[in-house]
Amino acid sequence: MDTKNSTAAGSTPAVADTKPILEVDGVTLQYKTKEHLITATYRVGFDVYPADRFVLLGPSGCGKSTLLKGIAGYMKPVEGAIRLKGREISDPGPDRVMVFQEFDQLLPWKTVKQNITFALRNGGKSDNAAEADDIAMEYIQKVKLSGFEDTYPHMLSGGMKQRVAIARGMAMEPDVLLMDEPFAALDALTRLQMQKELLQLWEDTHFTVLFVTHSIEEALIVGSRILVLSPHPGQVKAELNAFDLNHENVGTKEFVEVQQRIHDMLFADRILEDEIQTGDKG
Amino acid sequence: MSTSSNNKKTAIPQLVLRPEFEVSDIEQAQTSEVARKLSTLERIWNIDGVRKFVILLSLVVAWQAYTVGFDVEPLMLPSFWVSFSTLIRDLFYSDLIWKVWFSIKVLLIGYSAGLFLAAVLILWATVSRFGSDFISMATAMFNPLPAIALLPLAMLWFGLGTASLVFVLIHSVLWAVALSTHSGFEGVSQTLRMIGRNYGLKGFGYVWKILVPAALPSILAGMKIGWAFAWRTLIGAELVFGASSGSGGLGWYIFESSQNIDTDGVFAGLFMVILIGFFVENVIFRNIERRTVNRWGMQR
Repeated sequence: MDTKNSTAAGSTPAVADTKPILEVDGVTLQYKTKEHLITATYRVGFDVYPADRFVLLGPSGCGKSTLLKGIAGYMKPVEGAIRLKGREISDPGPDRVMVFQEFDQLLPWKTVKQNITFALRNGGKSDNAAEADDIAMEYIQKVKLSGFEDTYPHMLSGGMKQRVAIARGMAMEPDVLLMDEPFAALDALTRLQMQKELLQLWEDTHFTVLFVTHSIEEALIVGSRILVLSPHPGQVKAELNAFDLNHENVGTKEFVEVQQRIHDMLFADRILEDEIQTGDKG
Repeated sequence: MSTSSNNKKTAIPQLVLRPEFEVSDIEQAQTSEVARKLSTLERIWNIDGVRKFVILLSLVVAWQAYTVGFDVEPLMLPSFWVSFSTLIRDLFYSDLIWKVWFSIKVLLIGYSAGLFLAAVLILWATVSRFGSDFISMATAMFNPLPAIALLPLAMLWFGLGTASLVFVLIHSVLWAVALSTHSGFEGVSQTLRMIGRNYGLKGFGYVWKILVPAALPSILAGMKIGWAFAWRTLIGAELVFGASSGSGGLGWYIFESSQNIDTDGVFAGLFMVILIGFFVENVIFRNIERRTVNRWGMQR
């Protein structure tokens, strides 16, 4: 860990120089089901810096999606605070755009282009229809969907729908792009393709992205920094660097080592979880 | 290996080892047909309208053949051709067209007033839980109540005339539309709701730009049901008191023809009721659906 940090210091600015764009400070999130009050995360804290590809990684039940909803402003923390550029988050807003896992996140009554211009116009990014059109076309091209701008979402494949959602999110140029397992519902080949394309897009503008996943491999490929969360309730287990890991070194010794390390962290909890569950049944 | 597996009663199937192969260059597919156009007749038969028209035609032919072939008493059941001729004659050489217009005018007033009130109710229901409870309660109470049953009350309150008709029409449209729109709104996915709020939509903008289009299949279904209720209610109401209101509509025409023992006229009136109903359902609503929910893939 220490050695890695020292190698990183040459290529990335030191932490002291830059202010975090997003601060999550001792956040406890709770939600109610019909019968229980569930604590999804307990005093979770982390800082996201500009240009981070920050990944929230953990098994199901670690509250990573809930955390993302908190950051998006759909939920208020019962304890702690979430600050974007130093300002506390109170509501959903177009400065933090969500990309969901579900394919129905596109408005079915709008074409590919209209889905993007809808966001631009209503999110206050553009008050000029022609300008919004231009921005939309630029991002449609970026996600390689030229020729599909006038197609309705139901005609698109799952991967194409996710591309539109990503284009819509990026076109808003949010302070932070929030991605909630965006590739989880895709087939393996498409997922690989999408991960590569996301990284290519990131290379262009170094936008800040917060990415939720339960796949260790995806976390290592997509992320530059990984927050590992333990389940029931979600608590910070570790924060790791992964900016030197990508598709090219999947399967190398270095990659597998980190993969194994995270796996061990999560696996320890998994056994515990199984014990609790069998205990509950008995 | 084989002896050990034969010891037990059943032998499990073993893997069959075969050589690998790889096709170096795939030739043009050898099958001659990938996609063949269906024959003209088959394609014509695949058009919904054509098949339905054939059904309609055979009904007409059966009717005509029955009345002519069995020499049925025309006062009981006139032939199709006679009834149809009466319809054309009364439409163009008598005042049937004005009676139809009168009915449609009242219907449009009642229908749009019903839609407007439904919209107000639903807006209330989306902003407050009390409003939502009110809609559930009111629709449960009033939806099963036939609009025609309110007619006596309407006559007491508003007298004989358009006001009473509009009142019962509103009743027949309002609850059907409110109920289905309300349940349509409740069925809008959580993801779409979150997307709407993400892009800063609130209040009326959120309802109009997210909830309404997302629930459009239910809203249209409600509007269709409301329309059908309203049309039946109107014709029924006109039958009951069209006589005393002076200016009658289509229902009144049917009633009048029956009083004059003009069976052709009764059938002509019924034709008109069917034709208008069919037109609204299959031309107007069908086109709206084709341009919206069908096109968007929200309904097949």
